[in-house]
Amino acid sequence: MSTSTATRRSPGTTDIPRPGSKRQHEVLRLLPGPLLTIILLFLGALVLIPVLYIFLASVNSDIGVANGEFWPSSFSLDNYSKIWTSVGLATGLANSVLVAGATAVVSAALSVSTAFVLVRYSFRGRLTILRGLLALQSVPGTLMVLPVFVLFSSASTYLGIQVIGTQWGLFVTYLTFAMPFSTWVMVTYLRGLPKELEEAAKIDGASNLGVLFKIILPLSWPGIVVSGIFAFLLGWNDVLFASVMTRPESQTAAVALQIFGASQEGGAIPFYGQMMAAALVCAAPVVILYLIFQRYLVGGLTAGGVK
Amino acid sequence: MRFRSSSGLAAIVTAAALALTGCGGGSGSTDSSTSADGKVDGTGKTLNVLVNVLSQYPEQQKQWQADIAAKFKAETGADVKFETFASANDELTRIQTSVVSGQGPDVYSLGTTFTPTAYATKAFVTLSDDDWKKVGGKDRFNPATLGISGPDADHQAGIPFVSRPFVMAYNKDLLAAAGIDKPATSWDELAEQAKKMTKDGTFGIATGYKDNFDPWKFIWAMSVQAGNPLVDGNKFKLDDPTVKKAYQTYFGWLTEDKVVDPASVGWSNSNAVAAFASGKAGYLMMTTSSSIPTLDKSEIAGKYEYALMPTIAPGETKSKSDGDAASILSGDNIVVADYSKQKDLAFAYIKLITSKDEQLNYQKIFGDLPANAEALASLTDPKLKPLADAAAKSKATPFTGAWGDMQLGLLNVTVQSVPDLAAGKVDEAALESRIKDSQSKGQASLDRASKG
Amino acid sequence: MSTDASNEVRLAAESAASRAAHSAADASSQEPSGPSSPRRKGLSERNRPLWMLIPGGVLMIIIIVVPLLLGIFMSTLNLDQYTLRKWVSAPFIGVENFVEAMTSSPLLHSVWLSVSYSLLAMVVTLPLGIAAAVATQNAFKGRAVIRSIFLIPYVLPSFVVATVWRTMLQPDGIVDKALGTVGIDVGLWLNGPQTFWTLVLVQIWASWPFIYLLALSGLQAVDHEVHEASALDGALWWNKLRYVVFPYLKGPLSLAFLIGMLHHINNFTLPFVLFGVPAPADVEVLPILTYVTSFQSFRFGLSAAMAFISLVLIAIPLFVYLRAVKLDDAESPGAKK
Repeated sequence: MSTSTATRRSPGTTDIPRPGSKRQHEVLRLLPGPLLTIILLFLGALVLIPVLYIFLASVNSDIGVANGEFWPSSFSLDNYSKIWTSVGLATGLANSVLVAGATAVVSAALSVSTAFVLVRYSFRGRLTILRGLLALQSVPGTLMVLPVFVLFSSASTYLGIQVIGTQWGLFVTYLTFAMPFSTWVMVTYLRGLPKELEEAAKIDGASNLGVLFKIILPLSWPGIVVSGIFAFLLGWNDVLFASVMTRPESQTAAVALQIFGASQEGGAIPFYGQMMAAALVCAAPVVILYLIFQRYLVGGLTAGGVK
Repeated sequence: MRFRSSSGLAAIVTAAALALTGCGGGSGSTDSSTSADGKVDGTGKTLNVLVNVLSQYPEQQKQWQADIAAKFKAETGADVKFETFASANDELTRIQTSVVSGQGPDVYSLGTTFTPTAYATKAFVTLSDDDWKKVGGKDRFNPATLGISGPDADHQAGIPFVSRPFVMAYNKDLLAAAGIDKPATSWDELAEQAKKMTKDGTFGIATGYKDNFDPWKFIWAMSVQAGNPLVDGNKFKLDDPTVKKAYQTYFGWLTEDKVVDPASVGWSNSNAVAAFASGKAGYLMMTTSSSIPTLDKSEIAGKYEYALMPTIAPGETKSKSDGDAASILSGDNIVVADYSKQKDLAFAYIKLITSKDEQLNYQKIFGDLPANAEALASLTDPKLKPLADAAAKSKATPFTGAWGDMQLGLLNVTVQSVPDLAAGKVDEAALESRIKDSQSKGQASLDRASKG
Repeated sequence: MSTDASNEVRLAAESAASRAAHSAADASSQEPSGPSSPRRKGLSERNRPLWMLIPGGVLMIIIIVVPLLLGIFMSTLNLDQYTLRKWVSAPFIGVENFVEAMTSSPLLHSVWLSVSYSLLAMVVTLPLGIAAAVATQNAFKGRAVIRSIFLIPYVLPSFVVATVWRTMLQPDGIVDKALGTVGIDVGLWLNGPQTFWTLVLVQIWASWPFIYLLALSGLQAVDHEVHEASALDGALWWNKLRYVVFPYLKGPLSLAFLIGMLHHINNFTLPFVLFGVPAPADVEVLPILTYVTSFQSFRFGLSAAMAFISLVLIAIPLFVYLRAVKLDDAESPGAKK
């Protein structure tokens, strides 16, 4: 019985309700209204209460934060203007967007093609590769920092390629570390896609690349977006590698933030307010990007209008 | 390469290793030409300098770096590029990676307590007499600051840059209200005074038991003052009665004397600063000149002053340490990487920033005391007097590569005791077993050091 | 068995759900025996564009595998601050580091702490993430905003998350005050035995959006036909979720479980910023232990050996799990063949 559950309808003969219609809404409904409300309220509160705290701390005085206040005893938005010079946030954000963005795009592209081969073709070593990817994923970063640095520095010593301190080196590192997981996300996603369309395309004479570009890509946007988001966040949040591999001009926002937030030994109160403000400012671009991309996270199959 | 096998692993490792052999070796030669008058010509070169970020003074630090770079350019024709690290942990990672790869900044700014470990790597230049001349002569430095530059006077790698001695701050109003005319000079007296000031939500002492550094400094200070410098030859002496007494005194503020806020079991130093800044504590322990900007902006601006921390160990009547040990020898040392190909340029840079004028300028902007003897002597501001005194009465922590582990062990006793502290009583047997544990780990590390 | 989807949906869905188990049975020995393996008839064997594996493969070999081998090599050296500079010629001591790590270091305790805390956090984040994904699957006004809000904990750098929670959890801090108003006194959050639970809590807060994202991507693969059919069938929402929708999530969630566990186990920043080093004994998790060993005690060789042992210790259950859920091999449920 493992061969089929339902054949796909050919386009045009569908009696599926049009997207957006009331009837369609009823069909797709997963949760009863009250439960939906409860879940959203609970999770919203879970996220927003600490976020509210971050915001309140960002407008509070540093002494107030250190003393454990929730409601600020004094209120000022100064921190939001100070951070641009004190944290060096603009350079950091630009570098982060550049490095994490490139990582996301390239790793999504590479992982789609890699996963495509791994899912749709049979060859010796296929399983080993799939498992090997997970094994690579489990290598702890703390074990890797030193060897990776040694590798990169020898690239400069012996090949004359300056890797350390460049955005390029950081990009390659994040890209590689994002690959195993991104590939796996795509593998699980592609497995869920029907094969009939590809087979039909092949009968029509499409090449492998043709199948990848014309059939797989349009069908797998949700998977691509998700694997891209993960790759992006890996680069966005990393401090371990970035702290040893960047120089002031190639520093990412996360490193700039950490440098700013780490207080001095025996020192005074850290600039909590500016740090919190900077954290919110750093989070904003990602949230906005997600706001834009989340519309691709819709039922990719029939709702996407596959041809 | 000692080991080689036919396996693929070894082949790859060997290849990589061979490719890397020779890095980190560095050569003593320099390619900067030094002319007869001692001027270094570095035209077209760039010196890379790693410094700690001064988080309280972000703009000022950038400005200072720009000014120094301009002066250095004028003097030598070379550029200086500054890189910053966030914390001691970051710095360790940076140094480790640079040492392993033989590549990285030419000049490093190091916290004093880290100098022994850096020295142990042999990756930094041990200065010859000639080298000392290039940085302006050894005698330009305050002799006390050289205390942690190397294992002995002939082997020194750390060039003193600034002193940041630890002192205590006290709230003049609170002391006066309790009828105390001058700050305590012994730990016993401190506890007595603190008791008088503790009432109605005000506490005698502000300190943070969860700080990542403070606790070991207290224990170190009290032990040294009782005549136990913790390391005696190849023996680590944490199991000495003086150490237990020190822990009991330090914990006793909370459990016996009740002169600190019970919440301080979870505080770091910055929470203690905040409590003191809101006028809720008589003494702020273990602080430095870097608390000035915060305190001057707070409610107690103008009502506080600095003083030496007590120098007489608990239960004693006079200090048993030579030189009082009012503070650990604290501040920044500068080291030059052994792999650097422009050491003369590096020395010229150090000469510039340790000159009297630059040191005074640095003090004015950032508050850290000069390591330059002349500059230190020329400071007249009475507020700086306790700080300068503390700098002179500072004592170096033991100069061994094992110090990192020892410090960790000292701190760990406190970390593991905090739950007991919160419960109001630290059991003596438990304390002893924690000390014993740290003793054996520290001793093991010291054994490795003497072997290495 | 071409079906009109309006028929027997429950049956079809159930069969989809059970297929993983089914294929586990018939595919238990499915190491491909060669290019001509007859069993994988779903997989094409002609004209394979294997070159597409090259770019990713080369990258991973250079940037992960080679450094990993270097790391393993380092674990056989007596590498410390005294030998670091000329590390290639550091004394080779074979398995001594491994012996020391196993016998006289808290490594095994740390592995236990790491695994148990990761598992606890995972058990809570899974339902949270699934609930969030299911709740935001159907369009409603403001959905885009809610979806983005749910992402925030995952978007904030760990360093910030840990700093924020550390200030909120400090003695007499906000959390204590809030709980105090309802008469609960929990005691210390950041020291002592409870630190373990603090770590679990903060980890849950920070990582449930990860599950949510993967579950969301899995939900997108659910066919309209299945919705359609179960709606016609008058399926109750719970039955529909359980028999129709969840089978589609099995693949992504099995992956999420695995990767999430690894993320937790390797998370250094969170415990480091929350508790500092030396960490209270109850949260001396693996990354903290290896970090302290390598950057405070400067025993780089020992630290590499520890990391390698923990890698192996974690890899074993990982592969048992892989086989159990057939993540690496089975056609995932819901897929059409």
